[in-house]
Amino acid sequence: MPDSKPANDVAGYADAVRAALASLPERERETLLEDLESHLAEVASESDSPLHERLGRPEAYAAELKLAYGAAADANETQRRSPIRERPMSLIHAVTGTRAYREVHAMLPELRPGWWILRAYLAVLFLAFLFRGQDNLRPIPNPFSSLGLFQILATVGAIVVSVRLGRRGLPDKRSWRVAAMGANAAIMVLALPVLVDMGTGSTYAYSGADTSGSYAPPVEASYYIPGVTNVYPYSADGKPLKGVLLYDQDGHPLVLDTGKGGVITNVPIGADGLPIPNAYPLDQRDQNGQTLLPPRVALPPVPTATPASTSPTPTPTP
Amino acid sequence: MRRMQHSNGGPIDTSQLLKGVLDLAVLAVLAEQDSYGYDVLRRLRESGLDGIGDASVYGTLRRLYRAGDLKSYVVPSGEGPHRKYYALNNRGRTSLDQSAKTWGSFTKALDHLLNGRSTANAR
Repeated sequence: MPDSKPANDVAGYADAVRAALASLPERERETLLEDLESHLAEVASESDSPLHERLGRPEAYAAELKLAYGAAADANETQRRSPIRERPMSLIHAVTGTRAYREVHAMLPELRPGWWILRAYLAVLFLAFLFRGQDNLRPIPNPFSSLGLFQILATVGAIVVSVRLGRRGLPDKRSWRVAAMGANAAIMVLALPVLVDMGTGSTYAYSGADTSGSYAPPVEASYYIPGVTNVYPYSADGKPLKGVLLYDQDGHPLVLDTGKGGVITNVPIGADGLPIPNAYPLDQRDQNGQTLLPPRVALPPVPTATPASTSPTPTPTP
Repeated sequence: MRRMQHSNGGPIDTSQLLKGVLDLAVLAVLAEQDSYGYDVLRRLRESGLDGIGDASVYGTLRRLYRAGDLKSYVVPSGEGPHRKYYALNNRGRTSLDQSAKTWGSFTKALDHLLNGRSTANAR
């Protein structure tokens, strides 16, 4: 609307029509007047003359509405509705007649495009879950993974299809309509476990990018050292060590906050099936699955003959 | 037939006639093409039915929709608010077919009557 004057005109006219139809049952009235404002806005946008000049007085408009809608409606209802459906329908109407239901219901169409996009995404997510292989499912589309481009294309494609289907509306045929609703429900139900599974994959790989803080290794009293994302132990003679288990002064495993963006940490699993989060260096990969290389370190010259107990040489302690 | 003649003393008011067949007219317009309220009115008027009131069309659309003859979907429009488009569903098509048949036989009967009268006692 170009300016607020027609909008005021529309609102005023609609209010007057509503008031004139106050005698109708509320539910009835709202069903009838659901789109009145947008309809009047459409009429108003056609010309500059005010609505009451083009449509007549709101009271007359309301009377005409009532006649076109109400009078014939009763005949239709009794003719069309079989008595066996009467009781359930009246129960349903008791629910749908409440103000809260109407408000939610009025809002739902606005949310529909959102659902179209979400369901497309969930469908792709579910497919990615099915074909994930040994890897853990990470949020998709993941532009850094080898399947990233494919996932993006699949997601975009699915969104396009989903929106087109959505805009077409539900199919006429009852069986198809039921199938469409079932498919929607299935996407929701199937995607739910995938979403739940995503953060806690069976091999306990977790991406620092999106689980930082939320992921708590199932080990008691873990300690996070701020800023440190990995530890590279070396032996006294400069050889890099692997699988070194680190504990703090209280005997608690030393666990790092690996919440650095884009880094995926794979934690080994012990024979008891529990993860071992304090075996260093941690096996960390970037989003492409490339192992992060250990940093170059300048090892201090260590007195080879007598290892001094005061030297800061890292010593692997079990 | 007889009753109809009596109910209308003066010249036939087209808006009165239209009321009875507005459902049919609206269904026919929608069978042509999905449409929103104001567009239905415009198309009815374009096809010559200019005695129809805006409220009648809007009310008829809502009633047909509630009765289950129409489905509706919302399309965002460039400017202004979303438009609620209406379209026939299967039931609407069936009811259009039936009404069209009824209308056909009705007009045929009336044509017949009028023609018979005009040839029998032409003034």
